[in-house]
This record gives sequence, C-alpha cells and structure tokens, in this order.
Amino acid sequence: MIASAHSADKKVFEISSLSNEVKELRSAFVDNRGKLMGLKKESYIETKMKEKGIGISLNPPIKIIVKSSNK
Amino acid sequence: MFVFALAVVFKLCTIQFVDGDKYRAMAQKRTIKRFDIPANRGNVYSADGSLLATSIPKYDIAIDAVTSTDKNFNKYIKPLCDSLAVFTGKTSSGIEKKISKARKTKNQYLLLLTNLSYSEFVRVRNFPLFKLGSIRGGFVYDQTTKREHPLGGIAERSIGYERKDENNYYTRVGIDGAFGKDYLRGTNGKRLKQKIGKGEWKPIQDVNEIEPKNGYDIYTTIDVNIQDIAHHSLLGQLEEYEAEHGCVVVMDVKTGEIKAISNLGRNREGKYYERLNYAVGESHEPGSTFKVMAMMAALEDKVIDTSTVIDTKNGSKRFYGRTIYDSGAGHGKISAAKALEVSSNIGLATIIDDNYKNNPEKFLKRLRQWRLNDTLGVSIIGEGIPDIPYPGASNWSRNALPSISYGYNMRLTPLQTLAFYNAIANNGQLIKPRFLRAVKEFDRNIEVFDKEVLVDKICSDQTLSKIKDILKNIVVRGTGKKLYSETFSMAGKTGTAWTDYADIEAWRKDRKYVSSFAGYFPVENPKYSCIVVIHKPSTKVGFYGADVSGPVFKRIAQKIYTDTPLIDEIQSVEYNNPQVVKDFEKFNSISNTYKTIMPNLVGVAAMDAVAFLENMDVKVNVKLRGSGVIKSQSISKDIKLKSNQTVVLEAS
Repeated sequence: MIASAHSADKKVFEISSLSNEVKELRSAFVDNRGKLMGLKKESYIETKMKEKGIGISLNPPIKIIVKSSNK
Repeated sequence: MFVFALAVVFKLCTIQFVDGDKYRAMAQKRTIKRFDIPANRGNVYSADGSLLATSIPKYDIAIDAVTSTDKNFNKYIKPLCDSLAVFTGKTSSGIEKKISKARKTKNQYLLLLTNLSYSEFVRVRNFPLFKLGSIRGGFVYDQTTKREHPLGGIAERSIGYERKDENNYYTRVGIDGAFGKDYLRGTNGKRLKQKIGKGEWKPIQDVNEIEPKNGYDIYTTIDVNIQDIAHHSLLGQLEEYEAEHGCVVVMDVKTGEIKAISNLGRNREGKYYERLNYAVGESHEPGSTFKVMAMMAALEDKVIDTSTVIDTKNGSKRFYGRTIYDSGAGHGKISAAKALEVSSNIGLATIIDDNYKNNPEKFLKRLRQWRLNDTLGVSIIGEGIPDIPYPGASNWSRNALPSISYGYNMRLTPLQTLAFYNAIANNGQLIKPRFLRAVKEFDRNIEVFDKEVLVDKICSDQTLSKIKDILKNIVVRGTGKKLYSETFSMAGKTGTAWTDYADIEAWRKDRKYVSSFAGYFPVENPKYSCIVVIHKPSTKVGFYGADVSGPVFKRIAQKIYTDTPLIDEIQSVEYNNPQVVKDFEKFNSISNTYKTIMPNLVGVAAMDAVAFLENMDVKVNVKLRGSGVIKSQSISKDIKLKSNQTVVLEAS
C-alpha cells in the first residue's frame, strides 16, 4: 500500500517534469517556427536579395511540357 | 501533577471532539484541493498549414534577492548584472543598484523581465547566479500561457484574439475571436488532488472528475504568401501617401475564400499597424466603385445600352438645385460605357436620374436583389452595416437617387463591395466571403466549410459581358490606364470619394479623400478578386484611386501572375534520322562490349573515342593529338588494357 502510493507519487513527479518539458519544447518549436516563417516571407527575401541586386522577375517562369510521340 | 495531567487530557478531548471537525476540515483543505485543468486552446492555421495563432508559454523572471549567501551574492552579482545589461540594453550599474536595494529591504520578489519566449528564458536561466537555481541563486519565474501570432503584425487583426475580463466578458476579435466559443476554447477539466512532496499534487479518485477537452484547430483560408505581399504593398503605399488608414482584401473568385486581408492604421508616431478590421467593419461612402452597380442595374433593366449617348455637359450639371461635378473640364456627349470608363459622376447621375426618378423603387429593388443593403453575415464579429436610403427614410431626398448612382449618400463596407465584384468575375454567382476551410482535431475533420451561395445569378449573361468589357477597358484606356500592363491582364474600377465633407468650407481648405480600387484578374477566367481602400492620403502626394490604391492591386495581381508558371506544351521534337540511329547503336554496342579490352577506334569521332576510354572499367590515361576522326591508336584493338596505361590517339 505504502509502496504503491510512493510509486504513484514518483509517477506524478515524472509526469510533471515531462509535461514541463513538453511545454518547453512546444515553446521552442513555436519560437523557431515563427522565426522560420519570418525568414521565409517573400518580402524579407526581397529586401535581402536587393543588396545583391536580385529582384523579383516581372515574368512568370515557363514550364515546357514535351509530349512524347512514341508512346 | 495530577491536575496538570487532567488539564492535558481535557485539552486533548477538546481538540479531538469539540474542535475536531474544524481541524479535520482544515487538514483536508490544506492537503486536498480541487484543481481546474485548463484545456489547451486550438491553433489557427493558414491554408498551407503555417501557424497563424497558437498558445505558448511565456515567462516572467524575478529575483529573490534574499535567499543567496553573501559569498555567492557578492561573487556573482556583477557578472549577472552585466549579462542582464546586455540582454535588456539597460546599464549594469542601474540593475545592480536595484538588486542590492532589494537585498537590503529583504525583497523576495523583484521582477526583472517579463514576457520572455522560451529561448530567451533558457538564456537568462544560464546567467551567473541564476544558474545556481531557485534556493541558492534566487531565480524565480512565472509561466503563463499567451496567445502568439508567429507572423507578427501581419493580418493580426483578422487572425484576432479572444480575451476574458474579470466579469467573464469576452472581447472577441477576428477569426480567433469568432471561432473561440465553438471550436478553439475547449472545456476545462476538474480533478481532486492531494498534496505530496516537492510542491506537487497527486490526483486522487473522484467521482466528479471531468477530463479537460482540448480546443479544436482551425484552418483558415489565408494564404501566407499573398497575405505577405498584400500587407507589404499596402504598407508601402500608406507610407508613401501618408494616409490615415487602409485595407486590402483578396478573394478567390470561385470559392469565396479570403486569401489575404490586411488592415493598417496610423498611430500617433506615424507608424502603421493592424488597428481595426476596416475591411469588415467600416462602412463608408464607396464613391465611384459603386457606379458599376448603378450601371449594371440600368443595363439589366434595359433602360440604357452601353452605346446610349449621355450628355455629361462640360464638367458640371445641376440636379434639383445641387451641382454635380466631374473632374476636369467635362466629357461632353459620350456613350454610357465611356461614362463609366472615365468615371463621370454626371454621366451616371444622368443615367439613373433620367430613368428611375419616377420609380426609384425599381432601382432600389435591384440593389436589394443583389443584397447590397444587407450584411454578408461573415464570421468575423462586427461587420459594418450597409445603408442605402429609400423613399421615406430620413436620408432620402430627390437628390438621393443621383447621389447613390455614383456612390454617395449611402454606405457599404469594402468587403461588401468586393463580394459584388467577385460575383461579376464569377459569372454572376454571388458568394459569401469566408475565412474558414476546416475545423480539425489533429487529422480528423470536425467540420469542413464549403462555399455559400447568396445569389445564384445576379444578372443576365449579356449584362455581365457588357460590364466585364467596361471593367477591362477601364484599365486599358480609362481611369485605371496607369495600371495597364502588357504582360498580365486585370479589370476593375477606380474610386476617389470625398470624405468628411459635412463642413464643406473646412473640406475645401483641407481636402480628404477615400481612394479605392476594386476588380479582379486575370480578365479571362478570373482567379482572384481584390479591393484596396485607402483613407485620407496626403493630397500633396496624390489622391486618385488609380494612383493611391491601384498600385497595391497591381502588385498583388503581378505577384500572382509571376507565381503561376506559364505552361507551354510542345509536341515531341524527336524524329527518326536513320544515320543518327545507326551511329548511336554503334556507339552503344562499343561502349557495352569493350570494358577492359581496347576497341578499334579508327574512324570514330575523337569526342566519342575519348568518352569510350574514360568510361572503361580500367582507368587509362588518354592522350589525344588533333581533333576530328581517329586515324590511329597507340594500342591496337583487342589488347587487354592495364590500369593507368597511357593510350595515345591520333586524329585528323
């Protein structure tokens, strides 16, 4: 009885430390995700690339699909 | 002695039996407690799965200035303050003074930093002294859950939030606010817990136990890339024109999904940020963008045709004792289509007044049929209420009809105007703008939202094609011709409306306008519709809809154009040339047969010969003299090649 109560207590400690870890990791994840989203934004890339003299193309890329005849 | 013992026994009994209940209750209160288990609020995602709003822990850091020993305190206080100084940008000596004072006054909770993210928290936790922990170093922290928008200021108002005050009153803003109650919030759980060591509580069995139910995630229709472009091009334009506020909304023509919505207002310092949801909430006089609706009503009722000649005089015309002006010196006698292309106030007022003055109800019925006098019923709370006067209303007069025809004496929100333009682009089907795609619990769909049709067909196909032609021509040669681009097509209507003109004398001294542009692109098979409204640009810089708002529209149209690859299909260029096939087969048979044995290369092109030798299973050094066709080879054919052997080829 006492032993199982103690083992239950131990589990409670473990759960609380793990859930703290979950919170921390989650927070770190959102933190980094936010940073990544900031870096991925086209407006950010646009200003960054301006320094190098690269701008957004005025024309879209052209995708060429070759239809093979010998199928 | 006996008396003393008796006294002890008496006290014992009192505690046990008389006050027993009280103490037992107290003991239980201290060790057993009913806990609220908060449910996690769901996340808000964009259409492509980027996080728009989520709940994350934030940290406040304080110091217990008393708990650390003199030795540790004196040793680490200086480096700690230096680190904090670097972190906060304040002076180290100032921080040290504050902490030392707290130590003197025995302050066990001196708040140092608030609202730190997890990575910042970890950094501070490793500062000198704090590293020692809470007992020896006096490191104290509070963790709270905050709602975070990883995109930052972009679309902040539309993504929104939900806040509960002490009276349980919810402030509900944007998407997060609108869907909080039904989806995001979840329900808190309840559980009985017993105190155990280390400040922890252990759950104990309880019949009233309620499991917390986490909130659902919601997937919005927002496209982060379009949103980003919309936000930044609006911001750039507001800054350039020093405007008071503005908004832009991009809507998917076929589905009614809002791809981007940006609302920026200026604060006292002249910086712009997401203040209010102008696009949804602000109903104002739309001005010339409404001429399209007026024109369509007249076309649909067949009271005019696009070629009907309208006399717009020379820039001014009196209607019921009030003069209506056109910008410039007037347009004279022009066709109805032209009147809309050049955005003639007189033209539209004449069309509507001449044909509906005896029966304004006929005109107003059209507008009602297009639901322009009604809110769209969008999910975001606080949609502005449109107002179109009718005979008998306090704002109705004989002048109301000509005024409405060019967008005055009435109110609409930008989103309502956009929904109508979207209907034109969508072959007459009016659909409700929506912000939500799905509600999910992990991967499981709880609810999926589909397009909601408000009016199946607003007008005949003839009227549609006529109005589409005019909208196209406005950009090609009308008031929007500055926006014309050879590479991609768009159609739309400019608007430059007066605002705050109740005191006309004051207005003439300090002119205030609302510049707008509403339309869709591309012209053929429209994909997106878009509206841009900018309030009170500085007239020193410019105020015409085509100058102020048009470029935002164009930038978005261009962005979507350049992001969509042009697809070019070509038939295969292959054709059979017997010589090529023969040469190829010869080449192939040599390279597949001769792996370690020297082939006969005489008569082979030098380029091919080198390739053969270099692709052998043995590594040989090839020396080529001359170019063209091989004449001789230093090692004759069928000789087995050795590793690192040199082969000399002579070519003509």
